[in-house]
Amino acid sequence: MKLLRRARRRAPDYGPDSTDAVLLAAVAAGQTHALEILHRRHATWLRARLRYRCSDPDQLDAALQETFLAVWRNAGSFTPRPGDTDAGAWLWTIAIRQLISQLRKRANHWISDSDADYETIGDASAEDTVLLNIEHGPLGAALHSLSPELRSAIQATVLDGLTVREAAQILQIPEGTVKTRVMRAKARLREALT
Amino acid sequence: MSWHLTPAQAHEYAHHRSDDVTAMSVEAHITRCAPCRDLLPDDEAWLARSWADLRDVVDRPRRGPVEFLLSRLGVGEGTAKLLAATPGLYRAWLLATVVVLAAALLAAHHLPRGSLMFAFTAPVVPLVGVALAYGRGVDPAHALTSVTPLSGQRLLFLRTSAVLVPALTLCTAAALLLPSARTPWSAVFWLLPALTLVAGSLVLSRWLPLGAASTVVGTLWLTALGALTASGGTEPLQLLAPQAQAWWAGALIALVCAIAWRVRTA
Repeated sequence: MKLLRRARRRAPDYGPDSTDAVLLAAVAAGQTHALEILHRRHATWLRARLRYRCSDPDQLDAALQETFLAVWRNAGSFTPRPGDTDAGAWLWTIAIRQLISQLRKRANHWISDSDADYETIGDASAEDTVLLNIEHGPLGAALHSLSPELRSAIQATVLDGLTVREAAQILQIPEGTVKTRVMRAKARLREALT
Repeated sequence: MSWHLTPAQAHEYAHHRSDDVTAMSVEAHITRCAPCRDLLPDDEAWLARSWADLRDVVDRPRRGPVEFLLSRLGVGEGTAKLLAATPGLYRAWLLATVVVLAAALLAAHHLPRGSLMFAFTAPVVPLVGVALAYGRGVDPAHALTSVTPLSGQRLLFLRTSAVLVPALTLCTAAALLLPSARTPWSAVFWLLPALTLVAGSLVLSRWLPLGAASTVVGTLWLTALGALTASGGTEPLQLLAPQAQAWWAGALIALVCAIAWRVRTA
């Protein structure tokens, strides 16, 4: 079914300066070169960002590899929001999930083999808008005052948009602990901001 | 966007030196801001390596439906690829088979004693296919494959089975269209002789090239049938009668045993 879909779709014209949406459409039509452009454009920052969550370079590269393979298979499921053709958030969603599946040390089949459509997480929510100003707002100071555990819990659930369960996997603590830490962190932040 | 990364911030972040809170802030920002993403320094060597690894997987040829089906049935990956690729070697034979069988059917329907022609050709069709699927003169990659661990017997038998499936299917379809075919049983009278001839040529291929072995066996079959027809004393279809089938079965078992023994000792 998927094969048919790929064969039928015609590749749009694309170049190194095309938007992510155009490139992904070309990838969905089976264009390897479009994937190369996307890789060149996004691999560096994805790797830098994953590095803050995993210190093992081998696992990191493997996760990144799986990420772009997932893009290759699921490029068709990317739906750009009107007026925003950037695929950064979508790619990050895939990358962090792939990293978790790497960290689980299983054969990484549970995500790469499914045809799951990746939905962009954390779509410009209120939290996002606040986070964009962390450095310069009062939130920065408040976050600085949090203990590292509480901060990592907030980072996983809010910034990375993970579910409690996924956050528990990446932080390697029980789910209940994640929930309490997020609650405590939010309470602290509220206290500091009011 | 109310602010953008400074090159220094980008540099710190990329080298894993930002503190937690700055990192969070940078991450929230670069998720959406393409120009700031480009500020991160590229590691060209790593990018090239990473892409090379990725291209290896992405450029791998897609598996066809036949290959997919075979690997679903538990056939190994390499074997499935080999079996699926074999028909490329004998496309001409496949076409010739269809033509010959169509001609035989035409004869059977329109000529007196025309079904004789089918009796002549049906057992030879798989034989020719097998001869065309393996060997120096046929396989363009023979010189290459002959030095791989897969070559020899294993390759020969794999190719043979890849040929037998379409050959037997086509012959069965043709036999069912014969005017004399009343029951499914009467439509497979040619099957045992066909398999016996193939097994015979495989056994002979120990001493002769496969093509020559197939020629010998095929000629024997055609000569026997021709002689029986020419002498007129006995009906040539006697060779395919139920009593004769027992003999064919016996011969087939003996030949298969010979092949199995040869494989065991090889």
